[in-house]
Amino acid sequence: MKQFLKVKDLVKKFPINNGKEELTVFKNINFTINKGEFVSIIGHSGCGKSTVLNNLAGLDMPTEGKISMLDKPITGPSLDRGVIFQNHSLLPWLSAFKNITMAIHCKFKDMPKEKAEERAIRFLEMVGLKDAMNKKPSELSGGMKQRVGIARAFSIAPSLLLMDEPFGALDALTRGKLQDQLVEICDKTQQTTFMITHDIDEAILLSDKILLMSNGPEARVAKEIIVDIPKPRSRASIIKHPAYYEVRNYLVDFLVEGSETVRQKLLDGNLNDESFPIQVNPYQEKINSKKLQTA
Amino acid sequence: MTEKRKAILLSISLLIGFIIIGELVTGNGKRGGENLTEYQQLMGMGEPQAHVPGPLEVFKLGFKELSHPFYDNGPNDKGIGTQLFYSIARVLAGFSLAVLFALPIGFLIGMSPLFYKALQPYIQILKPVSPLAWMPLALFIIKDSIMSSVFVIFICSIWPMLINTAFGVMSVKKDWLNVGKTLEMGNFKTAFKVILPAALPTIFTGMRISMGISWLVIVAAEMLVGGTGIGYYVWNEWNNLDLSSVVFSILMIGIVGMFLDTIIAYFSTFFVYQE
Repeated sequence: MKQFLKVKDLVKKFPINNGKEELTVFKNINFTINKGEFVSIIGHSGCGKSTVLNNLAGLDMPTEGKISMLDKPITGPSLDRGVIFQNHSLLPWLSAFKNITMAIHCKFKDMPKEKAEERAIRFLEMVGLKDAMNKKPSELSGGMKQRVGIARAFSIAPSLLLMDEPFGALDALTRGKLQDQLVEICDKTQQTTFMITHDIDEAILLSDKILLMSNGPEARVAKEIIVDIPKPRSRASIIKHPAYYEVRNYLVDFLVEGSETVRQKLLDGNLNDESFPIQVNPYQEKINSKKLQTA
Repeated sequence: MTEKRKAILLSISLLIGFIIIGELVTGNGKRGGENLTEYQQLMGMGEPQAHVPGPLEVFKLGFKELSHPFYDNGPNDKGIGTQLFYSIARVLAGFSLAVLFALPIGFLIGMSPLFYKALQPYIQILKPVSPLAWMPLALFIIKDSIMSSVFVIFICSIWPMLINTAFGVMSVKKDWLNVGKTLEMGNFKTAFKVILPAALPTIFTGMRISMGISWLVIVAAEMLVGGTGIGYYVWNEWNNLDLSSVVFSILMIGIVGMFLDTIIAYFSTFFVYQE
């Protein structure tokens, strides 16, 4: 498989105490995303997940390290990388429809007006908001706003979609519905996606692999978890798959204990981060260990 | 009864009460009796004395003035409408000129921390100066009293708009700017598609404040330079000891001021957004 996005030895330092000192938020971050893959990143607050995403988006530059997409280095924001922000970030003076047509006009500069409007309506239909197209964001509910944000991001057909806790601010019921919608859209479009989330179940439902970050400062992407569950998935059926609990338990263990243990061990010099992230397939390990027992 | 109707009723009662009390405490200026000597008549004793007019007297005068608002019988006798027209024209000229300067400079200050820091001391020093203090300098340089009062309006209305524009531009949400960045908008496009619409409500607030101040200042400026305008009219009637006209002009100044504010408020409704 082709390495679509490659992140190599990423380091981010912030000046603190009026620039007298430096805080290393994360270092030695390495991972790759293949074309069509859905990758999530989970970690405790403050480990720098959002900074990683901003680096990928080109909104912020890493202190050291390289990010390249299709072998070209990322030097700034690009229409090739769509971003769905945590708080929807729709422009409040434009209607849902106008928010999307504006994005379409930015990406497809030569597209005639009618074509662009058709396209906008098609993507509003995709998230089920055609009837509310002329409403301003203030007239829409939180979930609807986020759906417009999703439609806007997909409408410019980005090669890579970046999502920063897309459903973090929504209630559980709305979140569930939007997750189902997103699963459907991603299956249909084979969209390459990078997502930050705090929701373990959301990560398992959507991802091909999940990156686990150790606690900051000096956080690392310590593990890369393979979610070995066939697609298409749905919220209802996924919990019946045996791999689901293996992955889920692994993630919970890591977040409760592992992320801090990794940090401590790195501090004490008892752990080498050269081979990070360590790839883990919890389901396969379980099968292997069973085989060993029976043998 | 709804709250609104109660408010209307209360307003009307206050007006009636005000008229009654006004009539009771003011005189009509009549003096002496019927039998004046020829000498007394020659000295103008038959004419009413200067006095603070009662409400009805002002209304009567107002009715007369407003039925022929635009006459012009020479420098000392122009209709109230003509005088107001001069004042409004000066305010609009000075105000529009100020818009042309304040918006681009405000944008620059708002977008560039360098310009913000560099221009801040000048703004802070010039802003509190009474616009009338500029009048002698303006008269000397421009050598024209009408243009000088336009300049005074310009200088007093530029600050609130400048500061509000800069503030509006500075407080554009970072998320919206990020949307512009991820859509690869250039600086120019970001300024017009993101920053300007985001800042417009704040800019309009600045415009309303500026317009209010301009209308306050024009009266004083015209009192100073004379010739035409509502400020000159007030001062001229004071010299004529015609206090009814003075009170009537106060009323008219208030009404026009309200009207100017309402116009800008109306335009701003097209650009206000809710988050």
